[in-house]
Amino acid sequence: MSWTPVECVGAYVPRYRLPAETVREAWGQFHGAGITQTAVPAADEDTLTMAYEAATRALAGSAIERDGVGRLFVATTTPPAEEEAMEPRLVSMLGLGAETVTRQFTGSTRAGVEALVAACSSTDAHSTRQSTLVVATDAPRGAPDSEHEHAGGAGAVATLVDSSGSARITDVAEHVEAYPGTRFRLAGSTETTGLGVTGYDRTAFIDTVTEAVRGLETDPSDADAVCLQSPNGKLPYRVAGALGVETGAIQRGTLVHEVGDTGVANPLLGLIAALEGGAERVVLVGYGSGGGATALTVELDGVALETEGIAPEIEEIESEATVDLSYGEYLRMRGDITPGEPAGGGAYVSVPNWKRTIPQRHRLAAGRCPACGTLSFPPDGACTGCRTLVDYEEVTLSGTGTVETATTIGQGGAPPEFVEQQARSGAYVSAIVALDGPDGTETVSIPTQVVGAGAESVTIGDAVEATIRRIYTQEGVTRYGFKMRPTA
Amino acid sequence: MREVYLIGAGQTAFGTFPERSYRDLFAEAYEHACDRVENGIEPEEIDEAVVGSLGVGGRQLGLSGPAVTEHVGLHNVPCTRVENACAAGGFALRQGVQAIRSGMADVVLVGGYEIMTDLSSNVTKYWLGVSGETEWERLTGTTFSGVYAQMARTYLDTHDCTREDLSRVAVKNHANGAKNPKAHLGFECSLDDAVNAPAVADPLNLYHCCPTSDGAAVALLASETVVEEFTGERIRVVGVGGASDHVGLAERDSYIGLSATETAGESAYEEAGIGPEDLDFAEVHDCFAIAELLAYEDLGFCERGEAPQLLREGKTDPDGELPVNTSGGLKSKGHPIGATGTGQVVEVFDQFTGQAGERQLADPRYGLTHNVGGSGGATAVHIFENEGVGR
Repeated sequence: MSWTPVECVGAYVPRYRLPAETVREAWGQFHGAGITQTAVPAADEDTLTMAYEAATRALAGSAIERDGVGRLFVATTTPPAEEEAMEPRLVSMLGLGAETVTRQFTGSTRAGVEALVAACSSTDAHSTRQSTLVVATDAPRGAPDSEHEHAGGAGAVATLVDSSGSARITDVAEHVEAYPGTRFRLAGSTETTGLGVTGYDRTAFIDTVTEAVRGLETDPSDADAVCLQSPNGKLPYRVAGALGVETGAIQRGTLVHEVGDTGVANPLLGLIAALEGGAERVVLVGYGSGGGATALTVELDGVALETEGIAPEIEEIESEATVDLSYGEYLRMRGDITPGEPAGGGAYVSVPNWKRTIPQRHRLAAGRCPACGTLSFPPDGACTGCRTLVDYEEVTLSGTGTVETATTIGQGGAPPEFVEQQARSGAYVSAIVALDGPDGTETVSIPTQVVGAGAESVTIGDAVEATIRRIYTQEGVTRYGFKMRPTA
Repeated sequence: MREVYLIGAGQTAFGTFPERSYRDLFAEAYEHACDRVENGIEPEEIDEAVVGSLGVGGRQLGLSGPAVTEHVGLHNVPCTRVENACAAGGFALRQGVQAIRSGMADVVLVGGYEIMTDLSSNVTKYWLGVSGETEWERLTGTTFSGVYAQMARTYLDTHDCTREDLSRVAVKNHANGAKNPKAHLGFECSLDDAVNAPAVADPLNLYHCCPTSDGAAVALLASETVVEEFTGERIRVVGVGGASDHVGLAERDSYIGLSATETAGESAYEEAGIGPEDLDFAEVHDCFAIAELLAYEDLGFCERGEAPQLLREGKTDPDGELPVNTSGGLKSKGHPIGATGTGQVVEVFDQFTGQAGERQLADPRYGLTHNVGGSGGATAVHIFENEGVGR
């Protein structure tokens, strides 16, 4: 069996953190064993925007062009909607081709590793492009005073699988065994739960993980790091003895202590930690309730480690740019205690009309006037340069720009459709940004929010770059579009 | 071209009247305007009506024009509602002038009305941003305070201007409004009050923003052919200007000048055959403090960047070279959107007929009104001459 190697990996973890101590102050206890803090998505983030962030990084660190990506596999247990594929929007945001083969892996925290294995082991006859982009993105939650909630984090990992890659999978093994009730989420619920039978849950984990790893031809003790699914910060170490590996190897392959349980992304974030730590051979194990485990051995020669786009992300994960939340701020940011859109309605932009502007919202598709050369955004209506109705030539902007003016919209200043965003994350910055044109001299001005680290102090002349965030939700449909963030 | 004269103008007090209806307010303004026509006027003498309203609250969104004119007994008089956001009244006036100049009408009622304070705070938030560019600008989470704040931020960054200078607009306009019995916020404020008010959208604070108001205003216009039947006053519309611009700020050439105002002003001055130096007073659209500063520059009261100096030196105070917003402006007199433009005409009428009370200027000859829609998507400028002065 020949496996397609991994060319590049990118990751994203939101900047907000909920310290375990803060939860302990609020509840008198903390159920996230071995976890010091969890990552929390901003009010305008979800698994789709995190997937975009991770995928953008993987693509930026790779030599592979976007038109070389033929397949997009997305794994998540917490998609924005239970039914309605998120992949078409992600394809659009990333500017992949409309013929991209898309698949979603879900229903289990093992889905992230499952998607990676599927990408490395198969091709689709109808896909003419060879690369597969695999994105594992998750933000699991539970009932307020539960282990799943206290442990639940947020993050995404994108893996670009291509024959030119240098991180080779040498070995894969799987094991399933019926273990109902350890962790589940019923239809219609946003809260993952479990029966909480400690010994039974532990057995389910140890049994399936051990059997899967035993199925590998390689000896796990030869690995520099073992990247295990980590529902909390203690369980993975319980399997060290059964696997015959050092706890140090497990520690080198986990990030759960710092970012919480990131569901499908959890073992893959561990892989990135191992890469950052200089590991050359790792055993990667995805585990999911139900139950089952997938184990693989990955050989990372020196080339993969030097790949652009891997190291910076780990710095971001552990950097000082993170912001600790109080418990009240956490409840607000999660939308647990915020009012939703007020009665009375907001500005109405119909979904069909929104759909028409998706190339601009997702990819900053601008236009150049064929008569005078002026850039227009959106490329619609008379040219702002020569005031002539023209058919614009499509121009894609790089997404970098400069703040021309900005204001901070404080409490009470938000229109109804942005009341929820403000309730969740406080005052926000609304600006006009001059986006750089393709030749570096011309710009085109657009209204936009500025978000992320440093947004609150953004001033005229500051450099910003585009990302994708949730704009607002109306009639149950979330509209995603570009926002800017200060350039690091 | 037939000349157009202002023969009467009246208004309700601007303020908070949640229990009153827009028709009821319009009727009061109509009666007030008719009462002030020197020789009186009968409903059947009115040939045409043009009324401005944004329709805040949505109450009678369709056919609200006939709904008010029929309510006051102007039966079968053709009536059109004009919607140009906060400039609806100014553009109703423009339409009225056009109707007379074209020869289709001899007597035209132009007016406006709005009820804004009977809405819940949530519904109000919705309506306050409906004239911003909806698909892109508003979806960055702004209403007008946010957009004008962006203009103010650029202005402060470009010119020698401080937040204190912005606050001087409030101090001046409140001092004027305190002398206007029709004013919504008819109290004086200190520079300290106006500097230390709570932030709304940085750098704008509460005193840099006008209130939302209820009210109605009506002006009556007559052609040169019939004016003497109604009055011995000769208040002529000598200059008319109107212009549009992109609705969204980001699409404009400048964030610190309204090209619609500049263009409308130039047209009005040219037709009047005068320049800004000839004006004796002006009512400008000060929905936000920065808007009054921009108006000074766009209308040629001073060079670019010099508006703060005008305020600091008191040149636009009632005893200055060019008094601006003697009525109190939108800041103090109030801003019932559709009524604001014709409300400015009421101040012109008061000043030219010696009915401005404590605000009365000495024998003004030329007065200008400046009415802006949204953040500058539409501007109407009118210049009036009291022909009885200087002859």
